[in-house]
Amino acid sequence: MDQLIQTLIIGLANGLIFALVALGYTLVYGIIELINFAHGDVFMIGSVISYGLIAPKSSGGLGIFEITSGTPAPLMVIQILAVLVITVGLTALLNVAIERVAYRPLRNAPKLAPLISAIGMSFVLQNIGLIFAGPNQRTIDNIFPTTNLLSYFGINSVQLTVSQVFVGVVTVPLLFALTWFVAKTRQGRAMRATAQDPATAGLMGVDVNRTIAITFLIGGALAGAAGVVQILYNNVTVWNLGFRFGLNSFTAAVLGGIGNLKGAVLGALILGQVNALSDRYLQANWTNALVFAVLIAILVFRPTGLLGQQLADRA
Amino acid sequence: MTASTIGTGPGAWFRHIGSTVAGLGQAYRAGLRDRPKRTVALSVLVAVLLLYPYVAHTWLAAFSRNVFPLPLPDDTVETFMTIFAIMAIGLNIVAGFAGLLDLGYVAFYAIGAYVAAFLASPHWATLGLNFIFLGNVDQGTPGVHLPFWIVVPVAVIVVATFGALLGAPTLRLRGDYLAIVTLGFGEIVPLVFKNLSQVTLSVVLGPLKISMDRVDLTGGVQGINPIDSPFLPFLNIKFDARAGFLPVYLGIFLLLIAVLVARNLEHSRIGRAWMAIREDETAAEMMGVNTVRTKLLAFALGASFAGIAGAYQASYLGATTSDFFDFSTSILVLIMIILGGIGNIWGVIMGAITLVFVNSTLLPYIGQQVQNYAPSLPNPAQYNFLILGVTLLLMMRFRPQGFLPSRQREAELTAHGLAHVEAEMGVPLDMDNTSVAPPGQSETGMDARAPETPDEARDL
Repeated sequence: MDQLIQTLIIGLANGLIFALVALGYTLVYGIIELINFAHGDVFMIGSVISYGLIAPKSSGGLGIFEITSGTPAPLMVIQILAVLVITVGLTALLNVAIERVAYRPLRNAPKLAPLISAIGMSFVLQNIGLIFAGPNQRTIDNIFPTTNLLSYFGINSVQLTVSQVFVGVVTVPLLFALTWFVAKTRQGRAMRATAQDPATAGLMGVDVNRTIAITFLIGGALAGAAGVVQILYNNVTVWNLGFRFGLNSFTAAVLGGIGNLKGAVLGALILGQVNALSDRYLQANWTNALVFAVLIAILVFRPTGLLGQQLADRA
Repeated sequence: MTASTIGTGPGAWFRHIGSTVAGLGQAYRAGLRDRPKRTVALSVLVAVLLLYPYVAHTWLAAFSRNVFPLPLPDDTVETFMTIFAIMAIGLNIVAGFAGLLDLGYVAFYAIGAYVAAFLASPHWATLGLNFIFLGNVDQGTPGVHLPFWIVVPVAVIVVATFGALLGAPTLRLRGDYLAIVTLGFGEIVPLVFKNLSQVTLSVVLGPLKISMDRVDLTGGVQGINPIDSPFLPFLNIKFDARAGFLPVYLGIFLLLIAVLVARNLEHSRIGRAWMAIREDETAAEMMGVNTVRTKLLAFALGASFAGIAGAYQASYLGATTSDFFDFSTSILVLIMIILGGIGNIWGVIMGAITLVFVNSTLLPYIGQQVQNYAPSLPNPAQYNFLILGVTLLLMMRFRPQGFLPSRQREAELTAHGLAHVEAEMGVPLDMDNTSVAPPGQSETGMDARAPETPDEARDL
């Protein structure tokens, strides 16, 4: 029982990181019906940037915001915030640039063209990561105290670490902020309108190009935040991290119903648990196969996902 | 096309292929009469390509080694050119003819390679399974050993079966969802080969009792080796890495068979059905095309080419591991057919040859020269996937139809190509593409949309 709860906690932390990336897929698919293949790699670039900012010069980083487990807590918070802001800004701009260069010129082209363009962009980003981070895995030391927070409540059989709480502290507000943005603001309404019908939205005075650019901006920002969280939580990054992580997140988005924000979060939380449970109770080397099997099963039996809208002709 | 008169059944098929071969001479004479320049140029090109492996191996390689270094593909690279050309032809059937974007084509390549490994290696000796039939090994050698000439047809049948099996659940899917499902298969299959190295299982099916205790089915991470090389009896030729240029010609032989089959398929009833569902699946169905059967045939037949390629690759290298078969290989083959001209057999062959040349010979050559003369510059060979990625981006932006496009495909893939065809058909161009589907726009996801304004048409 304790083991199961422990696994569920790990799965929740995984799922929250998946959710940030999955939202990027679902936002972009919702608005221009493109599987943004390069999105996982934007996440990877985010984790490489934050690695560069955090890691000391001695291990190949820039050491600008060198954080170690010895850094005093207030300073650490400020530094993490600075890393978050810089990384999020850079990946957001990167994602806008990607849209401008690779997808906007192909907006009226056949659907195959932007998908292949996205695959090309994915390769380009992976190689940029390869140039900056090298071919091997890059690791940082765990900066958070390893004390079990639950031991304060007298529970020692299940572990809840500071790093897991950190994942929640960063991701949950972002998820709520995004939901609020899309549901309540003028720009969010423009996004929903463009997603429904770009031509009509344009006639109603929505600047479609700007709205799509902002969608990519938000997606890139969330991916960057996920990158920071992932390097601080898992302490490791590598140039091809984005491919599998991206496919996991895309699976999550499809599971929840692609184009549906709440669905993406729900799908990500479920997929995080699937990953954790499979790692724990099956074998870790079957986890990826299981995730793909889930993806295929959903697409084949319920292409609209758990919460999806009617997208019959799209599937 | 004479091909449209094919009857049904395998007998008719073989008769037809026979008559195609016989008709080649006639077609060649007609080409010489009607378009002499083009025909002569093509003949010279084909002759050069056919003679090249021999000439390069015998003279050019020594020249390059001793006198002046040239970016010459060696025997192995040339063999891989033929292997990838066969795969490009196969993927072209699925993605080019039938318009079903397959991002997991590498799965079939892997299955083909593992079929060869299962049927011609000592692998099963650990299970006490020893069987030799016409294999090029001494009597009493452990393991199963069948000759390459039996392995290839078996690989084709097995892979075609898997093609249909994997294709079946995707029949309802269109466009990018189909692409993602195939990608999933492409990831799962190598993982299965990698992970089935310690299978413990016990199943009771009535009287049949199967029990395994940590049985190594696939060789795991190490893969399976050694695999028997293709062997030509009577002439006593072993087509392995030590056989010089000979494996290239075996590759060319297999490639010719692939071309012949693909050409016939393209111009047959089934080929026209593929193109019909590519253009508009609903309309094709209305016109009496059995879309289920047609799509399954596209998956099965397209996959079978990868079976040939995989079996030959494994037999030629004498080893196989699951690491050969990753997503980038699927994408590599896709880039080959996009670069060459999706839908056009000659285009995709040229795409395959070019890409293997660039990847395996030209970039390492340039890298070598950079190392020699300017060691401070980055080595371009390390960035081959960066170059491929940029190539994909530029191709989609400026020439999505490839360098040797098929005329029909060009019309679908470019707006002015479509505009041109539609103008011929008398369709007004200023149709609102968001509400009404103009002819040529399908829901398959590979659809072409009419440009909204003349500006955008130029933009494309």
